Formats: sequence, structure tokens, C-alpha cells
Amino acid sequence: MSDYIFLFDLDSTITQKEILPEISSKIGKLSEMRRLTEATMRGELPFKTSFIKRVEILSDVPVSEVNKLVASIPLNKCITEFIMKNKDRCYIVTGNLDIWISGLMQRIGMKNHYYCSKAETKNDHISKIISVVDKELMVKQFVQPLVVVGDGDNDSGMAKFAEVAIGFGGVRDIAPSLIKCIDYAFFSDKKCADFLTALL
Amino acid sequence: MKNNITIIISCAGMGTRLGIGTTKALVDVAGKPLIIHQLEQLKDYDDIRVVVGYQAERVIDVVKNYRNDITFAFNYDYKTTGTAASFSKGLIGAREYSVAFDGDLLVNPKDLKCLLEYEGEVIGGCNPTTDNPVLMSIENGCVVRFSRDFGQLEWTGLAKMKTERLTPGNQHVYMMLEPLMPIKVMKIQTKEIDTQNDYEKAVKWVLNGFSE
Repeated sequence: MSDYIFLFDLDSTITQKEILPEISSKIGKLSEMRRLTEATMRGELPFKTSFIKRVEILSDVPVSEVNKLVASIPLNKCITEFIMKNKDRCYIVTGNLDIWISGLMQRIGMKNHYYCSKAETKNDHISKIISVVDKELMVKQFVQPLVVVGDGDNDSGMAKFAEVAIGFGGVRDIAPSLIKCIDYAFFSDKKCADFLTALL
Repeated sequence: MKNNITIIISCAGMGTRLGIGTTKALVDVAGKPLIIHQLEQLKDYDDIRVVVGYQAERVIDVVKNYRNDITFAFNYDYKTTGTAASFSKGLIGAREYSVAFDGDLLVNPKDLKCLLEYEGEVIGGCNPTTDNPVLMSIENGCVVRFSRDFGQLEWTGLAKMKTERLTPGNQHVYMMLEPLMPIKVMKIQTKEIDTQNDYEKAVKWVLNGFSE
């Protein structure tokens, strides 16, 4: 057995749809969200700036409602099964907010197994963003050898410090900056999970 | 599906000698990219790894549009390492047998099938044809020596080996095989594309049904 710890990006790596655009489409703000998301994926907007703007777009929606929507989002079946079967060795590292994703984390067995951005709420609405995750800084704190799976520009920092860096392009294209720092790429959920299993 | 084999196609390098400024995997051979010819012959295999480097995104694009269950491995050190580095990159978590397959090699489909289905380890050899061949000395149907100077058959870059016996390297794949000899040899018909002259011959050969 290996010593690897497995770190996963959430959006379009575990989820079959992108979380924030999915929610914004439900409140009629998809195009605004899409524009910001695309620019961020391409690395044209710093993640933090873009994230704060994207949170603002959704600020009218009650937190509990977003949490419920996120918890019901369709997932990549095989990658999710891998995570649920190997809970102890898996962590989620996502820029998304704790108050939005806690339901989904519970659903995939990752309660208390995730690192993310954080916010405070008042009357079921976001009152303050406390922190926006820096994935690269995050992974530098791990002493174990890491396997990292992601798809976006903001996963590149994690990829650079991983023993095995994997790009998953099954939902959307792997960001060009990430392509330059990965060891393996997959476009099939099953193939990706098979490979992860071989690394256990 | 043949589920005890992992096939590793190495196409990280540049086709500089061919003068195409593109990776050789993408060179058009009789109407389709070389790598698609290879993948068409590997329909029965479900663990295929394509090692990419130079123009990785273009290769990935062409391959995933043909088939989305391919594993891509990255070797960005293609300028300073040999095919062994690419092959080794594809070996992680590989199945019982691993097959080394160069991205610039075309093989007669029947011969390829024979080699892949052979029970046990086997190396593909052909009559010496290229400018600077690695030659293999054969004794009792087995490869006993690799050499630049003498040998009856040319090393094709194609070999099916027990994964657990392989030690990763970063020079040439045949150097990974040297400590494991003797290894059974199988004569196969191939075309390797290194130069303009090779290319023209290969196109004719493919159009003629992968034979002379």
C-alpha cells in the first residue's frame, strides 16, 4: 500500500456540473456568472477577485437554499465512489464556501475532510467572507506524498507540489496552465478512478 | 477486451528529422493521423496510455475525439530523455503485461495482433531498414544482444513485457530490456517514420494494406 493522500478539486472534478453557474442559472444570472467563470479558468482574473464577484452575484439567494441546490448536484460516479470507499485518505480542496458545500460534503462522506473558503452568515445570508482558499499554500502544509486531481487554473499550484498530479477533463477542458504541470490526464470518470485505485 | 495488458504509446518528441515541426503522432498518413492508425488497431484493448510532451494539447485533442478512455501521461523532459522515460511514465499502475509502442511506428495489423496475443514476453524485430538501426542478435528464437554494429534483426521499439520485471529508466527502452534477456523475438512487418523518405514509403505501404 502507498502512503498517498488524495486531494480533489470539487467543481467539475467531482461534480458533473459547475456549481456556481448551475445555481446562477436557477436565478437567471447565468451569463454574468459564466463570463467570470470562464475568465477565471483561463487565468485572466485572479481567483480571489473573481470569487468575491461571483459570491456577490449569488448574495441575494438564502444560504440554506444554495446549500440544498449544491447538495443535489449530479456527480461523477466513479470518482465519487473512490472517495467514499477511501474516506480516510481523501480530502477536498475547493475555493467554494463552507456554508454552501457542507451538505454536499456530508453526502459524499467528506464531512470534516475538506479545505475551502469561509464565510459568515446573518439571517441566512452571507454577511462577510472570512477567507478565500489558496490551494497552493494549502497543499504545502501536507507532509504526506500527494496525489492531486483537478481541472482549473487554480489547481496548478496544487499540481506543482504533488507527487502525482492529475488533470480531469471529463466535464470541461483542463485549463492550459494546469496541462503544463500535470503528470496524467483523463477524460473518462471511470478511467480516472481506476488509475486512482491503482495508486492506493 | 484484453484485460491483462497495458499499452503505452510514446509520442512526446518532436518530428524534427521529418521536417514537419509537429509531433510525429499527428503526421497525416493516407488521410489520417499516424496515432489514429495505431489506435484503430488497438480497439480490443482498454488500458491504453499515450505519453505526450511536445504539442501535448494537440495530440490529446485528436486522441480524445477518437476515444475518450485513454490515459494521457506527460513527459515534458522529451528533449533530454529517451523513449524509456516516456515508457516508464506510463508504467505506474500498469497491468500484468506492459507493451512499449513508439508513436512513429506503423505495424502490419495481423503481426501486431499476433504479438499482443502472444502468451508471454516478446520483442518485435524486423529486417534492418533504417539509417541508424539498433540491431538484435538472435539465438534460439530469442534476443540475446542489442548492438549498433551487428545483429540479424532490427529493434522496432515494440515489446510486450511482464510489468513487474521492468525497472524504470530514462534512456532507451531497449536498455530496460537488456538485463532481462534472453527474450523471445517475433518477426513483424513495420514502417518507422523518421525521414521524408521513410514517410513516402510508409504512405505507400499503408495504402497497399500495410504490406509491400
